[in-house]
Amino acid sequence: MRLLELEINGDRLHVAAPPHWTLLEVLRYELGLTGTKQGCDKGDCGACTVLVDGKPQLSCLMLGSAAQGHAITTIEGLLPAHRAQGGAGADPVQDAFDRCGALQCGFCQPGMMLSAKALLSENPTPTSTDIKHALSGNLCRCTGYTQILEAALLAATKTEEVL
Amino acid sequence: MTSQDNGTPSWGARADHRVLNKDTRRLSGPEKVKGEAIYSIDRHVPDMLYGKLVCIPVAKAEFTVDVDPAMEIEGVVIAIPLREGSTLYNGQAVAAVAAETPELAEDGARAVVVNYTPQGFVVTAESAKAPGAPQVSSRSPNHAPRGGSNDKGRGDMDATMEALDASDFVVEAEFDVAIQHHACLETHGLLADFKGGDEATIYASTQVAFGIPGSAAGPLGLDRQNVRCVVEHMGGGFGAKFSMDVAGRAACLMAAEVGRPVSMFNDRRQEFETSGNRSGSIQRIKAGVAKDGEILAMHSDMDKLGGVGRGPGAVQPYIYNVLESFTLDYALHTNTDSSRAMRAPGHPQVSFAMESVVDMLAYGIGADLVEIRKRNLSDPAYHRQLDRVAQEIGWNEHQHRTAPGKGDGWIAEGIGFGVSTWGGGGGPGAAAEVRIERDGGVTSSIGVQDLGTGVRTLVAMIPAEEFGLQASDVLPRIGDTQLPNGVGSGGSVTTASVAPCLKDASHKTRLAFAEHLASVLKCEAKDVTFADGKVFAKSAPDRGLTWKDACATLPAEGLARTGKWIGDLQTSGAHGAQAARVQVDLMTGAVKVLKMVAVQDSGLVLNPLTWRSQVNGAMIQSIGLALYEGRVMEPDLGIQINANLGDYKLPGCMEIPELVAIVDDEDTRQAVIGVGEPPAIPGAGAIANAIHNACGARITSLPITPDKVLEALAKLS
Ligand code: FES
Ligand code: FES
Repeated sequence: MRLLELEINGDRLHVAAPPHWTLLEVLRYELGLTGTKQGCDKGDCGACTVLVDGKPQLSCLMLGSAAQGHAITTIEGLLPAHRAQGGAGADPVQDAFDRCGALQCGFCQPGMMLSAKALLSENPTPTSTDIKHALSGNLCRCTGYTQILEAALLAATKTEEVL
Repeated sequence: MTSQDNGTPSWGARADHRVLNKDTRRLSGPEKVKGEAIYSIDRHVPDMLYGKLVCIPVAKAEFTVDVDPAMEIEGVVIAIPLREGSTLYNGQAVAAVAAETPELAEDGARAVVVNYTPQGFVVTAESAKAPGAPQVSSRSPNHAPRGGSNDKGRGDMDATMEALDASDFVVEAEFDVAIQHHACLETHGLLADFKGGDEATIYASTQVAFGIPGSAAGPLGLDRQNVRCVVEHMGGGFGAKFSMDVAGRAACLMAAEVGRPVSMFNDRRQEFETSGNRSGSIQRIKAGVAKDGEILAMHSDMDKLGGVGRGPGAVQPYIYNVLESFTLDYALHTNTDSSRAMRAPGHPQVSFAMESVVDMLAYGIGADLVEIRKRNLSDPAYHRQLDRVAQEIGWNEHQHRTAPGKGDGWIAEGIGFGVSTWGGGGGPGAAAEVRIERDGGVTSSIGVQDLGTGVRTLVAMIPAEEFGLQASDVLPRIGDTQLPNGVGSGGSVTTASVAPCLKDASHKTRLAFAEHLASVLKCEAKDVTFADGKVFAKSAPDRGLTWKDACATLPAEGLARTGKWIGDLQTSGAHGAQAARVQVDLMTGAVKVLKMVAVQDSGLVLNPLTWRSQVNGAMIQSIGLALYEGRVMEPDLGIQINANLGDYKLPGCMEIPELVAIVDDEDTRQAVIGVGEPPAIPGAGAIANAIHNACGARITSLPITPDKVLEALAKLS
């Protein structure tokens, strides 16, 4: 076991976990943050995407210990972060995904939304091609992606409004 | 005014609907986008153990298993053998371990000693049919009629041969469909929450919540009625999650043994190797057509690749009228796991071959691809649907209408078509309860699971329509065997099975509420009207009560009624047509689908938003089947070499064309039909046809990868 000091969703946490645990394992099995999904555990599906200092990262491919010293945002942290920055209502990405019905089973959703979030913070006015590139590492077996892409575009408009 | 009939329940005129037939956001949306939705794989209960299966790494073996070494690892709580003697396919589970953490369970599984002697096996169609091939199992020869040894084929062979001779144009081809995987993002498994005593709750990723207590009771050693199943949220099923599988059974056995909850979910490799695939097929077809476009004859010899199973039942000729046909339907067994139901089991495979044949015949006689289809389809639904998709895809302006492109130049564009059929009706057995509380709250309950299709939202929409409320005013309760009976979600039966129950319960509750309110509103019960969140006497719309105030007049226990299935509220018989426009890069063989259009009838569409999502998703899965997906077996080792989401290619958002999903609004049936399967049928055939239409390369083997395109193009020149 190793004592890790992690910054997750704005909170500084001390977690005891085996040194070889991935960030995904620490989140799901130690911290109970199950919004981060485990779809393949080997970097293929994108369901485990989190933000590390605002950049999308597959948490199944990052050691928990390597996450120390970085700001980690999971899906559970999007709304609090939005509010902390003075945002009203829902986070624009979450709101758009909900409005567009960009989910069926929803299992791919957290990863999709965080990839979209990362894109929009870098590029608030993305084209559909930019969005497709940004989400190309996130697999969805149900929705047909169309509504997901619509949602990302809608979120872009809203992000602009907020900014 | 909402649709309110005081006689027998009916859906009422579409023009009167305020909630139904309107885009309605999923009620689980907020929870899901916040990451708060708990799937069975996310469930964690105190004292819970994690389970892991021990799987045999060869295609066929005799084995012995010793679980004791696993027990020497600290943290491993139990290890059990699951079977003895022999296995028939790679990945078959022989033992299971449960431990305090997932990785200790893995350590434990690695410590189990399996002594196995590999046996001769076959994992590909060619090797299964080779002379002297090892027999897959002792139960049946490798190649056997699906209908049993007396099955000598369907139809009249002599008449078919004569009709082939009499045809003006005849084609002959072999069609090959690779095995596709369900690839649900949440893998199979369950948490058996048992802490000793005589009750247990199973949190399962299943399509049949009500089937779980019966399956789990035995291994748990409990009475069926003391086992509850909860499916709060579920990460996809597509037909693969009907049984609780070996992982579920093992979790129950171990939980029962140690009196602690055990969670056991497949890893991705197990998911590919043992938990779900659409059967492959090889179809040898000879067909003939008359000059006027009538299909006169079809001789089909089909091998279904269902692994150790027999594969699905769908056969040729598919949908189209064929004057004389003869069909041989065989299972070709291999040492691979059994195929399972997957969106329209068997249909996409036969549709791909049939649609290809129709195009081949059309080009042979110089017929228009839409016209030849209409010529051989009797149902007028197909005629209007084909016209509509043809219009949407730009067929009339397209250059290759009776002859394909020549494969010269660099980029070629083509169009292809396909049609589908499905039942989509429901059946009796389910029940629903609708309850109005004195504080104005409305709960709508039915135990059915929501695989992601949007059932939860329907469960609220139906009473909302009845009471003049919004869907968000109703609390839907689903996914729990303690609620009124649900139904298994398979074969597109869910909507047509549960919606009538919900309608019946809503209707009865409204009538009872109207009866109660008649004295309050000083009118007859039949004149009590529910609309826009208000309740009033029909004659005095401005003097009513708000919904809340009306509910406040109820007794403390509120008001509730249960509803049963009513056959007249649903029907069956779904038809659809699809068109695909593709672009073929003649230098690299790469195919890009540019646009797909689906026109689909399904009676009264309850929620167009989730309907479109289903249809779009089905088209994407067809793109996968047509261009990318396929299990690859290593013939000498007997293992799947792409049992992961990196090497098994699912369509991603870079591969998504423009998708257009259109409700066939000329279908005016006032009854609901399920739409899960039908749109998953015709896409692969339409895409294969579009590739041929673009450049003349007829590829009869799915998936159509660039190498196959280049090979076919080379043959052309
Ligand atoms: S779980 Fe990390 S990419 Fe699939
Ligand atoms: S909604 Fe099911 S995987 Fe994307």
